[in-house]
Amino acid sequence: MSRFLRDAAGALVFPVIAIFLAFVIGAVLVLISGNNPIVAYLALLEGAVGSPVALGRTLLNATPLIFTGLAVAVAFRAGLFNIGGEGQVYIGAITAAIVAVYLTALGPVGIPLVLLACLATGFMWGAIPGFLKARFGAHEVITTIMLNFIAINLATYLALGPFRSEEIVPGTRTIETFMRLPLVGFGLSRVHYGLFVGLLAALTVYLLLWRTKLGFRIRAVGLSPGAASYAGMGIGRNTVLALAIGGAMAGLGGGAEVLGVYGKVSIPFVANLGFNGIGVALLGRNHPVGVVLGALLFGGLASGAQQMQFDTDVPLDLADVLLAVILLLVTATKLVEFIIGKRARSLATGTRLDEGVS
Amino acid sequence: MEELLASTIRNATPLIFAALGGMFSERGGVVNIGLEGLMLISAFFGVVGAFYSGSAVVGLAAAMGAGLLFALIHAVMTITFEADQIISGTAINLLALGGTGFLMVEFFGSGGTSPRVTGFDAVAIPGLSSIPVVGGPLFNQSLLVYLMYALVPVTFFLLFKTPFGLRLRGTGEVPEAVDTAGVNVFRMRYYGVALSGLLAALGGAYLSMGLLSAFTEGMTNGRGFIALAALIFGRWHPVGAAGAALLFGFAQAFTFQAPQDVIPLEFLNMLPYILTIVVLAGFGGRAIAPAAVGKPYRKE
Repeated sequence: MSRFLRDAAGALVFPVIAIFLAFVIGAVLVLISGNNPIVAYLALLEGAVGSPVALGRTLLNATPLIFTGLAVAVAFRAGLFNIGGEGQVYIGAITAAIVAVYLTALGPVGIPLVLLACLATGFMWGAIPGFLKARFGAHEVITTIMLNFIAINLATYLALGPFRSEEIVPGTRTIETFMRLPLVGFGLSRVHYGLFVGLLAALTVYLLLWRTKLGFRIRAVGLSPGAASYAGMGIGRNTVLALAIGGAMAGLGGGAEVLGVYGKVSIPFVANLGFNGIGVALLGRNHPVGVVLGALLFGGLASGAQQMQFDTDVPLDLADVLLAVILLLVTATKLVEFIIGKRARSLATGTRLDEGVS
Repeated sequence: MEELLASTIRNATPLIFAALGGMFSERGGVVNIGLEGLMLISAFFGVVGAFYSGSAVVGLAAAMGAGLLFALIHAVMTITFEADQIISGTAINLLALGGTGFLMVEFFGSGGTSPRVTGFDAVAIPGLSSIPVVGGPLFNQSLLVYLMYALVPVTFFLLFKTPFGLRLRGTGEVPEAVDTAGVNVFRMRYYGVALSGLLAALGGAYLSMGLLSAFTEGMTNGRGFIALAALIFGRWHPVGAAGAALLFGFAQAFTFQAPQDVIPLEFLNMLPYILTIVVLAGFGGRAIAPAAVGKPYRKE
């Protein structure tokens, strides 16, 4: 039990320090902008969890981030850096927008099929950088960044070209209401069943990574590629699979956004889900439970910032600044050492975050 | 034809600045995927400086100050505190995006587009600009474009013909050896990242003070990433990077002029990224990054 508590405390040291410092820096910015940080942060808190509607906004914001956070976390467990979440979201989203229009004959039964299609296209898109790395040694950080832009342009082409609708807002046709993900209710306004799909995805990733042979191999490759290779685990195959599974998660997230929130892909589509997924995964230490918590924090920040902008004149963009600072601080191991001393650091780095990334 | 050439130069200029910047950082061993953010924050402060002083030169200085400051954040986090370089770079991009949004409201009262400021207008070079066909496009440009022309050979010289360049390249390839030779690896890496900030700042300033004379939110629009692509496509070499940037600049210029029913705009936009992947995958020879790039240096 004490071991468990120590591990849990260790796992929390980095994220808690990063979040705390980010809020201190944020407070300075709020002061500079001529506002009272306490008033601003209370508004932020109220906007994040102060009412069912606020909580609903937080959950709504958190939903896609669970998927993109998982997309980063799965790859990270194999020692790979998936910066491609943004593009994978677009691929899933455009898949949903196109397929859902053609599956209307099936009625609501078609919804899981649409989501499966998003999963599949995300999987294939994620497999590309995996294949390029395994076969040609092309670094996945660069290829996933480049594939983001290719995906965004591809989705834009499809939405404004062959699948463009006659509707006023440029984009694909709006999906029939019965093909949309239903709302959860409970006064949580627009929270939809995509949230549960996300939680299910997190559970699946957990089971996959820690309860299957494939997951064991992926983690083994991430912890020690040399040893894994010696043990006969094909590094290339696991590289492709880890990035492909990550892509599948982000693709599913893009599809859930279309079916749950937007009903179509209009251009420009939602931005930065993939990049914020990196922060979510790091904050959650690449564990599915951590990812869900990280997504809730990021989602809460985004919805709280709206309230803050309404109540004070602190711009909404403060939320992005806070996220960036958290992201900046969360892997700076030496900074933590600098702040809390060496002994605590060895405790906190029981499982090093930057291990396996080259 | 002349317009296509002039437009190619205009599009390539910010890419070349940023790619040369990225080259110094990566040659020293620090990945800088924060180029996009460095350009954006510099583009913003260039406009702020020019707005309050009425002088484009002051604006340029402010842009370079901001680029340097943000690059130093990346340097401190990655070199001193050993943060992951990819994550730090991603954070810099996010910080610049959120930060400029925040500061737009603070400085100009609202988001969107800033007021117009004095920028760097086109200056025709007497004689050269009257050369038929190429004279106008090449020599009737903003002063920053001429600075770019000069910087390509200068960076080449600095990198390959000076002790500084040798040391910098060494810290990106075999930092242990450079350390043994008595060179401060950490300091060299700081120089590399600092130069990337200053050069990316020139690229950002060109966007907001050479092309547009105003700042609009998110105006870099992926150019930092294209610069990164040009850097890789040009194999971490100043002339190669400039050449790749010109090619990408031409593709962009072409998109404005080509009839869109022939090739859709989106496919032309994909070109730099597809080419970079092709190069990375080693078709047509290997692209080899500096050996120690991405790894924090720890002194034994």
